[in-house]
Amino acid sequence: MTSSVQAEHNQSIIIDVQDVSFRYPGAESNSLSEVNLQIKRGDFVAIIGSNGSGKSTLCKCLNGLIPTYYTGDFAGKVVVNGVDTSQASIAELSKHVAYVFQDFENQLVRPTVFDELAFAPLNFGYEDYKERALQALHMLDMAELKQRWIWQLSGGQKHMTALAAAMALDPEIIIVDEPVAQLDPAHAKLIYDKLALLNERHGKTIIVIEHHTEFIADYCKSVVLLDRGGKVRWTRPTQQALSSVAELTELHIQPPQVTQAFAALHADSRSGNGLYPVTIEQAVEQLQPLLAHRGHRPMSEQHQDHDERHTAHLPYQDNGAQLTAHASCLDHDERHQARPLHPSTNESAQRDNQSRAGREPLVHVEAATSGYQSIERNMSPTLKGIDLAIYPGERVALIGNNGAGKSTLLRLIAGIRKPWSGAVTVCGQDTRKVTPEQLSDVVSFIFQNPEEMFIADHIRADIEFFLKARKQSNTEPFIEHILQTFHLTELQQRDGRLLSGGQQRRATLAIGMAMKPTIMLLDEPTASLDIVSRREMTQLFDELQDHVQAIIVATHDMQLVADWATRVIVMHEGTIIMDTTSADVFQHPQLLDKAALVPPQIVQLSHALKLPSAALSVNQFVEQFRDKEEQDGIYQLSAQA
Amino acid sequence: MEYTNSAHKPSFWEKFSVERIKVELLRTAYGQSMTFLSRFDPRIMIAWYSFFAIVPWFIHNKAVLLGLLLAVAVLTYSSKPSVLVLIVLAIGLISDAAYMLIVSLMFGGGLAAAWALSTLTLKLLVITLASIAVFSSMDPERLSDGLLSIGAPAQFSFGVAYGFRMLPILIEEYNNILYSYRLRGKSPDKKGFLGWRMLVYSFKLSVVAFYPLILNTAKRTRTTVEALEIKGFTYAMHDPKVKKLKLSYLKIRRRDIVFLALSALYIAAVFYVGSFFDA
Repeated sequence: MTSSVQAEHNQSIIIDVQDVSFRYPGAESNSLSEVNLQIKRGDFVAIIGSNGSGKSTLCKCLNGLIPTYYTGDFAGKVVVNGVDTSQASIAELSKHVAYVFQDFENQLVRPTVFDELAFAPLNFGYEDYKERALQALHMLDMAELKQRWIWQLSGGQKHMTALAAAMALDPEIIIVDEPVAQLDPAHAKLIYDKLALLNERHGKTIIVIEHHTEFIADYCKSVVLLDRGGKVRWTRPTQQALSSVAELTELHIQPPQVTQAFAALHADSRSGNGLYPVTIEQAVEQLQPLLAHRGHRPMSEQHQDHDERHTAHLPYQDNGAQLTAHASCLDHDERHQARPLHPSTNESAQRDNQSRAGREPLVHVEAATSGYQSIERNMSPTLKGIDLAIYPGERVALIGNNGAGKSTLLRLIAGIRKPWSGAVTVCGQDTRKVTPEQLSDVVSFIFQNPEEMFIADHIRADIEFFLKARKQSNTEPFIEHILQTFHLTELQQRDGRLLSGGQQRRATLAIGMAMKPTIMLLDEPTASLDIVSRREMTQLFDELQDHVQAIIVATHDMQLVADWATRVIVMHEGTIIMDTTSADVFQHPQLLDKAALVPPQIVQLSHALKLPSAALSVNQFVEQFRDKEEQDGIYQLSAQA
Repeated sequence: MEYTNSAHKPSFWEKFSVERIKVELLRTAYGQSMTFLSRFDPRIMIAWYSFFAIVPWFIHNKAVLLGLLLAVAVLTYSSKPSVLVLIVLAIGLISDAAYMLIVSLMFGGGLAAAWALSTLTLKLLVITLASIAVFSSMDPERLSDGLLSIGAPAQFSFGVAYGFRMLPILIEEYNNILYSYRLRGKSPDKKGFLGWRMLVYSFKLSVVAFYPLILNTAKRTRTTVEALEIKGFTYAMHDPKVKKLKLSYLKIRRRDIVFLALSALYIAAVFYVGSFFDA
């Protein structure tokens, strides 16, 4: 094949959606309305849109589940890799399209990884089904998992197996439904790396449904925005798409923090071509010329203005020591600078120390070891001699990668697991001497999977369960109040399982609150939530704060850590490797790296710019620049506004 | 690992936790890849098992039953079954024997009647031990393929393997739902005579916890069904070539024949010897 032909081949349209409308049987409105969409061979596309904009429905049109399996009202035509989907069977189409579901665990139907991979090629009667399975293993570099049982795998490994199983038919197109939502950040990155590999090395066309724009910025080439009611609003290259900050925010999609920061600072000037950096690398690249320029400048000269661009530089203040200054600028038109950052670290740490002094801890964990029994009957510990004291008024975030022991620690405190050695004391009660029922008078534990908490017919009954079991009378006003606080009044007669993800989380919080606990334990409360529901949860946490003495949250959500926690405990392989404040925790990149944690993008940007104290939120970052503006009066463009 | 083994000895009650049951079930299903019985073709095992599961019902000769029992006991021992399974078996047998003794004494049959009734216990013992020996030696995959090859419908044989695949997930979920009840419920204040109130409470919980479990399972099945469609499961059911391809690894070897022949010889010998004891 000559290069020109190849180029043409690469540029050809692999997916052609023409005037497609679809309505699920029995639904009142269309899930897709007159969708027109072309996707080029070799593209890496993100489909974004708010809840109910038909993202999954669109993808199910591409693999033929619609219209063959779901027989709703379908109009239009979908051509995938030259095949008209209405003319082909689902099985036939799966040779062209791989699909990884959002709840990918339920997609795995065989006991071992290799069986799972060989299942589809075998079903299609390929003589070489074993070779195909091996090839898929090889393609994703996961040979070491070949003989493992599915139930031994971590979430990320399961996701990879689901992907590899779909790859065993060697399709040209891969669709992945919300990979980041269900995985911890380190595994999500791994999956994206694999997808990038398939895209670059094997020329596969990748389509992801994604809420997390940081991942889109890092990996995707173009973005399709779906509107409510299943209409395509636009298809744009990634940078242009994510720079449409106002439009995305309006649709409850949060652009990357870097982009938000740049957009906020540019809001008044409207300069340039409307493109902002979307990745940390791009942001740093824009700032790099100045940083490099500043690098060898003596400290004494920092207040002098040698630059024809009229930039001024201030030394940073941190713990009383003067550190090297790093000026930052935003683009070629205007220059902004970071102002001295106020390390909130010391302040809050001091406050914590004061509040702890002379007080009894609510939770006292002494040299506690606990774990699980492996299939070889070995007792393998997930917690190794943990010492920990939790005091009233603390908002604790437990962070660490999967298997670090976060959940086990929460279970020890809730009393549903007893320490093998050592002791756990909760509000003066030794957990080994009381039943979980007795302990539940002071502790409420919110499970990671909300569905495991819905034990009554409707959520009102779920919320009342605790009080009814204790035969408390006149609970009506209290229950009403709880329902209102958590916006559940309308939903109170619904079965918890049938609610949306965000509603389910709210319901579980309400269940916990109705127990009037002293201590509240939450396991991954913001996992698999979209941005709106996430924000809502964070607000509700503030609500909890007034009623609960201490909250302990196990989470992968670093944004939650930055926004909400006062104390952060980093766990790694069953031990506590750091116990500090949320402002301080991100100052230890090596440690976070060890625990496979990824700080929020704005923190990473602060690190990349070598700021002495990282900004924890976009607002903090922007404020630092704004304050600097006012002080120096050098940013005329923005200052005029 | 310094923590392994030495740190913790599970107490008696911990052995009966749901988690422990999960581990034991998984061991029974998947743990034994190399036992004496696991070497044979699944179809041979199914044939062998059918004999030991059906024939004892029609034998009334205690000597013959004892002979069969000896054989299955040795094989059960060789398949290193889970202690938990054996405990359950022991509880069943003891209560069965005790009940027979009580019944025969109450109705004036005396020990003679109990002796006669013990034939039934013996039959049950042979059948259960045979089941334990076979099923802890044969992983669900081989069982499923064996069933498929002797003509069981594809859905059924797939269901066997899929059931085992889902088992750990379901047990885990069941355990958490159980804790949901416990963390919000209230155990009885007074334990009652011999803790009967606690027993009733625990029993009640363990039953009601199935209800949410079933609803959750129903919900997750949707994805599974779609995935099966995509993976060509329905497509394969109408293609005899696939079945052939899938089962091509199953081969009846010489050792399978030898095993069957030896079993037949042994059984014949037992019947012959048994005939001298029969009245």
